[in-house]
Amino acid sequence: MSGFQNGGTPARMIDDDSDVEEEALAADYREQVQYEGMDEMDGGSMSMAQQTDDIQSRLAAAAQPLDFSAPLEVKFSSYDNYCSLFHFILNSEGPVDLEPPSYYWAWDVIDEFIYQFNSFCSYRNRVARQGNNEEEITVLREAPNTWGCYSVLNVLYSLIQRSQINEQLAAMKRNEEPMAVAGDYGSKPLYRMLGYFSIIGLLRVHCLLGDFSLALKTLDDIELNKKAMFARVMAAHFTTYYYVGFSYMMMRRYADAIRMFSHILIYVSRTKNFQKNAQYDSITKKNDQMYALIAICVAFHPTRLDDTIHTALREKYGDQLLKLQRGGPESLPIFEELFRASCPKFISPTPPDFDNPELNVDPLEHHLAIFMDEVKTNMWSPTVKSYLRLYTTMDLKKLAGFLEVEPEKLRGWLLVNKQRSRQIRWTDNGLLDGEIVGSGDLDYAMQGDLIHISEAKVGRKLVDWYLRNLARTY
Amino acid sequence: MGVPFDYAPDRPEHIDAILNGLDRYNPETTAVFQEYVVQQCDQKFYDCYANLALLKLYQFNPHLTKDETITNILVKSLTVFPSPDFSLALHLLPPHILTPASASSALPAAGDAPLSEAVQKLNVLNNLLAQASYAAFWSTLDSDDLYADLTADVAGFDELIRIRIALTISQSVREIERSVLESWLGMQGDAFDKFVKDVCGWEIEGTVVKVPLNKENEAKGTVVRENVKMEQFSRVIRRAYEQPA
Repeated sequence: MSGFQNGGTPARMIDDDSDVEEEALAADYREQVQYEGMDEMDGGSMSMAQQTDDIQSRLAAAAQPLDFSAPLEVKFSSYDNYCSLFHFILNSEGPVDLEPPSYYWAWDVIDEFIYQFNSFCSYRNRVARQGNNEEEITVLREAPNTWGCYSVLNVLYSLIQRSQINEQLAAMKRNEEPMAVAGDYGSKPLYRMLGYFSIIGLLRVHCLLGDFSLALKTLDDIELNKKAMFARVMAAHFTTYYYVGFSYMMMRRYADAIRMFSHILIYVSRTKNFQKNAQYDSITKKNDQMYALIAICVAFHPTRLDDTIHTALREKYGDQLLKLQRGGPESLPIFEELFRASCPKFISPTPPDFDNPELNVDPLEHHLAIFMDEVKTNMWSPTVKSYLRLYTTMDLKKLAGFLEVEPEKLRGWLLVNKQRSRQIRWTDNGLLDGEIVGSGDLDYAMQGDLIHISEAKVGRKLVDWYLRNLARTY
Repeated sequence: MGVPFDYAPDRPEHIDAILNGLDRYNPETTAVFQEYVVQQCDQKFYDCYANLALLKLYQFNPHLTKDETITNILVKSLTVFPSPDFSLALHLLPPHILTPASASSALPAAGDAPLSEAVQKLNVLNNLLAQASYAAFWSTLDSDDLYADLTADVAGFDELIRIRIALTISQSVREIERSVLESWLGMQGDAFDKFVKDVCGWEIEGTVVKVPLNKENEAKGTVVRENVKMEQFSRVIRRAYEQPA
């Protein structure tokens, strides 16, 4: 056994830790689900006794999903309702004395608020692009500030500031009492929860606007992989990891993206038996999207996935994954298809140009075009690697002959693959932090036309197998 | 080795204060950021995170947009390839910016056609750099006067790119034909000799240029082995005590 003790991989250790955490999270979720019924009953009776019906029904309404096909007037009035509700919460004299209707309420409100902002912007852009509904164009043209990005960001930032949530989280990080810095507002659950989920809301809004680095920066004070507050609300947990993973992917930090997606997908697969409710239905779609994104990331950055993920991935996207991993021009449509199906619904923050419908390109096309450039840059890497793996030294011109390309082209591919196999990977601190890690198991260097190739061999992993069989027989 | 994405060693305090506060959304700070971009161009330093904040302000307030600043930011981000900075900046530009000129030039009212043309040209450069088609990069750069205009504001653009190219070469190359390297660096003769020897610290031996060994270009094989901890066996050992056979 002593032979195995040197030269372990730190990556594996991290995996082990997060495994333990996931177990804890899953257990925590199970508990929660069992108590859920009781919570609701308590909340219900208290609100009946203490609060006026009016404000409670407004709070409840704010968390209610708006029908996607709702007419424009409804979308406008919904915006007005949010404005007056947030105005009441933020700008009354001192903190308002309200209990949130339920534990999930704060998340639901922020979630719905951003969802409506998102779908309004998409809708407005579509109306302008199609340019055939004069009536709606007039209405939209006259109200450029309705669901404006400044007002949405203003709400989110105000909730964060009022609740001093960043200060509270920073204190918790230092193992200090958060209440000491919470202030009048932040000590109330209503504000604390709204503030907290506003941070995650910001992550989402920045990502929708294509600002991926700022999206990750927003989460500086929130510790992932810990028993974070968001983990207690399944939808929030899920959303956070989706957007963090996606932002990482767009920053070309595929290893980090895979880590995020894997974490949440494993969590979902472990808890899905306890979630026979509506919340779970909405998750199923995002779940598939994340598998698609993992497929993309793995194509960029081949790595060993968790067994559960790997099996599910092969079930859902087996054919596509194979094509992605093979690379070359044939893989391009698959990359595009999966990206379209699983990216967030990007929006453009400003009102569209109603006079020039052609200028209102769907933001998705824009982000996709940029992403596809990166895909094209990389598309020969799998081919190059599959050949290099077979040799320890190889003549560049000979290999170029095999691949039927110009030697100079191949030299470029080799440089590209080498560059792309070096990635920034998170180790500690903020999400934007990280160290450059050579990720490939394959390494090479060119000496004139001679390519020297070396492979990092992974020793057989015996312990898992040994333990599993021991547990079975003993 | 690792540096957070939002960190820039040369960032002045007042910029840092804006970036960390809500003033990053204040349209009045565009002037400050614009001035900062000029400084970066003149003094050969680079602050991606601040530049993205400026592009975000433009994104929210299109009427404040200054085309020149946008192209300067993009040109600056070329000098740090193969990092994703150029793409991250593109993501914040208006969605129609990459649609081919034929579509947008058909519109007389499209006031920013020159900007989209410039951005698309720069995107071509970026893709050439990303694909390590360095020779094609230099010939493209020379092929159109517009490129000279676009890169004019960035002091030492050629030199910065050259250093960057040299860096990527040093990661994968131990020896390289002089002629290949000349085309990659876009220079010949004495200037080439001087750059290779003084800036890169490489040796020229006849027609071959030798790059000293470094961590990246030695390509040493390794075996990754499993790290076994005692705790993994705790359950097995416990059972051995609980159920003496």
